[in-house]
Amino acid sequence: MTRYIAYRVLALVPILLGTSFVSFGLIHLVPGDPVVAMLGLEADAQSIAALRAKLALDEPFLLQYVAWLSNIAIGDFGRSIQGERPVAALVFTALVPSAQLALAALAVSLLIAIPTGVVAARHRNGPKDLAASFVALCGLSLPSFWLGVLLILGLSVHVPLFPSSGYVPPLADPLGHLRHLALPALTLGAALAAATMRMTRATMIEVLRADYIRTARAKGLPEREVVWRHALRNTTIPLVTLVGIQLGQLLGGVVVTETVFAWPGIGKLTVDAIFARDYPVVQATILVTAALFVLLNLATDIAYAMLDPRIRLS
Amino acid sequence: MMMDPRTAIGAAIVAVVACAALGAPWLAPHDPNLPDFAAALAPPGASHWFGADDLGRDTFSRIVHGARASLMVGFLSVAGALVLGTSLGLIAGYFGGLADAAIMRVMDVLFAFPGILLALGITAALGPSLSNAILAIAVVNLPIFARLARSQALVIRSLDYVEARRALGFGPLSILVSTVLPNAMGPIVVQASLLFASAIITESYLSFLGLGVQPPTPTWGNMLRGAIGFLDMSAWLAWFPGIAIFATVLGFNLLGDGLRDRLDPRA
Repeated sequence: MTRYIAYRVLALVPILLGTSFVSFGLIHLVPGDPVVAMLGLEADAQSIAALRAKLALDEPFLLQYVAWLSNIAIGDFGRSIQGERPVAALVFTALVPSAQLALAALAVSLLIAIPTGVVAARHRNGPKDLAASFVALCGLSLPSFWLGVLLILGLSVHVPLFPSSGYVPPLADPLGHLRHLALPALTLGAALAAATMRMTRATMIEVLRADYIRTARAKGLPEREVVWRHALRNTTIPLVTLVGIQLGQLLGGVVVTETVFAWPGIGKLTVDAIFARDYPVVQATILVTAALFVLLNLATDIAYAMLDPRIRLS
Repeated sequence: MMMDPRTAIGAAIVAVVACAALGAPWLAPHDPNLPDFAAALAPPGASHWFGADDLGRDTFSRIVHGARASLMVGFLSVAGALVLGTSLGLIAGYFGGLADAAIMRVMDVLFAFPGILLALGITAALGPSLSNAILAIAVVNLPIFARLARSQALVIRSLDYVEARRALGFGPLSILVSTVLPNAMGPIVVQASLLFASAIITESYLSFLGLGVQPPTPTWGNMLRGAIGFLDMSAWLAWFPGIAIFATVLGFNLLGDGLRDRLDPRA
C-alpha cells in the first residue's frame, strides 16, 4: 500500500508542473498587450510601464514562469491588480464558502440518490423504477444554472422562503447561513444526484443477485434488513469512487452556481477576476482549483485501493 | 431494425432542433435582433408566441436562431476533438514508446483541469467569441478521445488481423488508417454522441457567464443571462431558453444512450 501511494504521489509531480505551466501561460495567449488589457486603453504610459515591470513581462517567458513558480512555492501568489490585495489571501478566503457549498451539495445528492436508487433496484423495471430512471435522465440533461434560476423563481420570488443570493458566515448566524446555503446546495446536489442514483441502482441490482443475499434471506432475515444493511453496505466501493469523482466535478460545478447565487467562493472569484482582467488572480484560482482537482482524484484512487485490494495488487 | 422508443424520441428532438437551426431565417416570424420598444417585456401571446424581452425582441425568433449557435458549437467542438484526439491516441497506442509518453503526458495535464474551468480560462485568455468557445470546448474534450483511442489501439495492434497486415508488408501508417482506425471507431462514435450533449451544456454555461457568443447574437445561454434581471415580472424570459437547452440535451442524451446500447457490446 505504501509503495502504491508513493508511486501515485510521485506521478503527480509532472502533472502539477504541467498544470502550473498552463495556468501561467494562459495570460500570454491574451491578444495584444496584457497590461493594456488589464489597465484599459486610457491608462497612461507611466502606469503601464510600472505594471509591466512589476509583473516582469519584459523578461523572457521561461524566466517569468520560474520566478512565478518559485514565489508560489513559498506561498506568495503575488498581488491582485484590483485593490492590490495578496492573491493567496483572496484565494484561500474563497475556498471556505466553496467547500461549504460542495459538501452541502454532496449531502443533498446522497440523501436523494441512495434511497431512490435502492427503491428503483428493488422494483426493477416496475413503474417506480421507470419513473426514477426517467427523472434521473432529465436531471442529467438539466443545465444546473437553469435549475438554480427556476429555484430562485419558485422558492425566492413567488414563495419567499429562501434568499435568492448572498452569503452569511456560519459562526455569525448559523440559521441564516443554512437559509442562504439551501438553494445553491439544492441546485448543485440535484445535478449530482442523477448520476449517483443510476450508479446505486446498477450496483444494487448486481448485489441483490449475490449468494450472500440469498443466504441472508434463507436464514429468515426480514427483507428490509437484507436490503438496507447487507446489500447497501456492499454498494460502498463504487459509491466511494463516484463521490470522489463528484467532489472533483463540484470544483467545476461551483463556478456557475456561485455566479448565479452570488456565493463568494472560488468559482465566483474566478469569474469576477476574468471580467476585471485581474490576471494574477485568474492564474492563481485556475492553478489552485486544478491542484485540488488532481489531489481529490488521487485521494479517490487511494481510498479505492484501500477498500479493494485487487486494485493495488494488479 | 426497430428503434427503441427512447432512441426514437431522442432522434425526433434532435431532428426538430436541427430543422430550427437550418431553417431559422424562414421559421422565425420576427427579426431576432430587431428591437421594438412598444413590445418590450410583452407576455406570450398571438404576436409574440414566447413573449418579448426587455428590448422588445421576439423570444421565439431568438430561440430558433439560438439553435444555430448551440448546434454549431456542439458539432464543431466535438468533431475537432474527435479528429485530433483520435489521431493522437491511435499514434500513442500503436507506436508506444516516446510518442506515447509525450502525447499522453500532455493529455494528462489537460485532464487535470475541471472541464468548465479550462474552457473558462481559454475563453478568458483568447476573448469571448463563437470560434473561441468552439476551440475551448474542443480542447476540453481532446484528452477524452485521445485516451479512448489509445486504449483501443493498444488492444487492436496485437490482434491477428493486424499481424497479418504487417506480415504482408504494409507500412505502419497504412495499417493505422485502414485497419486500426475502422476497428477502433465504435466506442469513439458513442463517446462523441454523449459528448455532444455536454458540449451544448458547456456552451450555454460560457454564454450564460458572458464568455461565449456575444450579444446581440442570440444563444440560449446569453438569453438566460439577460433574463436574470426580470425574474419577478417576466419569468417566461427564463423559461423558454432553459427548456430549449434542456430538451436539446435530453434529445442528445437519449440518442447517445441508444447508440451505446447498439454499438458498444460491453454496455
